[in-house]
Amino acid sequence: MTEKAADRKPLLSKKIDKFFTGLADAWNFLKRFFKEVFVPPYEFREVIHQCYRIGVESLPLIALTGFIVGIVFTNQSRPSLSNFGATSWLPSLIAIAVVRAMGPLVTALIAAGKVGSSIGAEIGSMKVTEQIDAMEVSATNPFKFLVVTRVLATTFMIPVLVMFTDFVALMGSFLSVNANENVSMLTFFVQVFESISFLDIISSVLKALLFGFTIGIVGCYKGYNSSKGTEGVGRAANAAVVMAMFLIFIEELLVLQIVNAIRMM
Amino acid sequence: MRGENKRSVIVGIFVFVGIAILVAGVLTLGGQQKKFVKAIQLKAVFDDIGGLQEGNNIWFSGVKIGTVRKINFYGDAQVEIEMNVEEEVVEFIRKDSKATISSDGLIGNKIIVIYGGTTLAPAVEDGDRLESVMPLDTDQMMETLQVNNENLVEITGNLKNLTSKLAEGEGMVGAALTDSLLAENFRAIVNNLNQASINSNRMINELKSFTAKLNQEGNLFNELVTDTTMVSEMKQTLVSLNTAAENAQKMTSELSTVTEKFNSTDNSVGMLLNDPELAETLRSTLQNADSASYNLNRGMDALEYTWPFNKGFKRKKKAEEKENN
Repeated sequence: MTEKAADRKPLLSKKIDKFFTGLADAWNFLKRFFKEVFVPPYEFREVIHQCYRIGVESLPLIALTGFIVGIVFTNQSRPSLSNFGATSWLPSLIAIAVVRAMGPLVTALIAAGKVGSSIGAEIGSMKVTEQIDAMEVSATNPFKFLVVTRVLATTFMIPVLVMFTDFVALMGSFLSVNANENVSMLTFFVQVFESISFLDIISSVLKALLFGFTIGIVGCYKGYNSSKGTEGVGRAANAAVVMAMFLIFIEELLVLQIVNAIRMM
Repeated sequence: MRGENKRSVIVGIFVFVGIAILVAGVLTLGGQQKKFVKAIQLKAVFDDIGGLQEGNNIWFSGVKIGTVRKINFYGDAQVEIEMNVEEEVVEFIRKDSKATISSDGLIGNKIIVIYGGTTLAPAVEDGDRLESVMPLDTDQMMETLQVNNENLVEITGNLKNLTSKLAEGEGMVGAALTDSLLAENFRAIVNNLNQASINSNRMINELKSFTAKLNQEGNLFNELVTDTTMVSEMKQTLVSLNTAAENAQKMTSELSTVTEKFNSTDNSVGMLLNDPELAETLRSTLQNADSASYNLNRGMDALEYTWPFNKGFKRKKKAEEKENN
C-alpha cells in the first residue's frame, strides 16, 4: 500500500479498504512469486542454504515435538479405548491421527512459529534497513534472492520434516504402547500400516507442501511489506506467525473436505 | 565455500532420509495392502452389503488375501462386488466356495469372507463369480432377540408364580418344602434308601465272593465254563437223555394204548376191570368156589377117617413127626 493510496478518500471505510488492498497486494505478491520462480537465474545455492536453515536446523525441535505428541496422544487415547476393551486399536488410532492430521499440522505449526517468524523478521529488518533497496541498486533481484529461495525451501522442507515427525511420533507412540500393552514393534507397525492408505500418505505430503508454501509466502510477504522501523519488524514477524497458523488451519479444513470427497468416490 | 558444501551435503542427507522414510512407508503399505501383488478378480452378488466399502479386506481361512476393488449395482437392486484376490492363493479357492460379508471384530470394518469349497471342484479363475451367502442381518438378530426377551418375560412370570406357590406350600413340592411331617417321611424314605443301598452293597460283595468261588478251579461251574471235554460228555448225555425221552414217549404211547384197551370191554382184562355184570358173576362164582372149597375141606376131613384113605393119612403123620424129631 503506497502513501499516495493511503491519502486517498476511503472507498468503503478505512479498515475495509485496508483489508481489500492488503488482499490485492498479497495476490500481486503471489503472482510475482510464480512469475519469478520459473525465470532464470536460479539461486540454487541460496535455496540449499535456506533448506539447511529451515529443514536441518528445525529438525531437533520438530522431532522432539513429534515424539512428545506421539506419547501424549497415545496416553490420552488409552483410557477412552480401554473403557470398551479396545486398547489393541491404539496403533491404528495413532497411525490415522498422526499420518492424516497431526504430523503435517504439528510440523507446520512449529515451523510457522520458528521459520515463519524468522523469515518475517529477517526480510522485515532488511526492508526497514533498506538492504532490499540496496540489492535492487546492485542489480540483484531481491525478490528472487530473498523470497523465491525461502518459499521454495519451506515448500520442499516441510514435507521432509513431516516424514520425520510421522516416524518419530509413531516411535513415541510405540514406546508407550509397548510399555503398557506389551505390543511388539512388528505388530505395532503392521497395525499402523493396516489402518492407513495411500490416499492418507499422498494427502499428507500434499498438505505439507501447501503448508510449507503458506509459511514461506506469508513470512516473506509480511517481511517484504514491513514498515515503521524496528517496530514494524516485530509486527511483521508476529503477523507472519499468526497469519501462517490461521491459514494452515483453514487449509487443513479445506484439504480434509477434498480428501474425504475423494475417499468417498 | 567449504561451509556451503557441508551445508549442501547435510541438506542432501536430510532430504534423503526424509524421502527414504516416505518410500519405506509407501512400500510397507503397498506390501501390507497387497497393492503390488499379482491378483485376479472374483465377483459376488449380494442383496445387501451392509456398508462394505472399496478397499475392505478379503479373508480366506482367516488370512487376508485381497481387497474389495469395486462395488456396482447389479440387476434388480442387487450389489456386485469385484474383489482383487492374490494370484498365489487362487489354487486353494474352489469354484464352489462361498462368499459372505462379515466384520473384522465386534465393531470393526466390514470384510468379505470366502469359505467352503471342495477339492472336487476346480480352482477359481479370473472373473469367476462366487456363490454369495447373505450375512446375518442385525435387524433379524434384534427381532430374534425380541422374541427371546418375550419368552424370558413369560418364563420369569411362570417362575414367579411357581416360587410363590412353593413359598405358600401349594402342590407336592411346596408341601415337601413346608410340611414337617412330609419332610419327616421323606427323611425316612432317604434312610430306607440308604439302608437299601447298604444292603445292595453287601449283596454286591457277596455276589463278588460268589463269583470268585465260581472262578476257583475244581468247582463244578468253573469246570462247566472252562473244561472243554465236559461239553462233549454233556452233549452225549443229552443225546442219551433225548433217546431215553423218545423211548419213554413211545412207552407212554403204548401204555396209553394198553390203558385204552383196559378201559374198553371188548377184551378179557377190560371186561374184568369195567364190566359190572362180569364182576357180579365173578363174585358169585368166587362165593360158590368158597363154599365148594369149604365143602371139599369137610369132605377131606371126612375122608381122613374113611377106609382105605385113613391109612395114607396116618403114614404122612408119622413121617412128619419123624422129621420134626
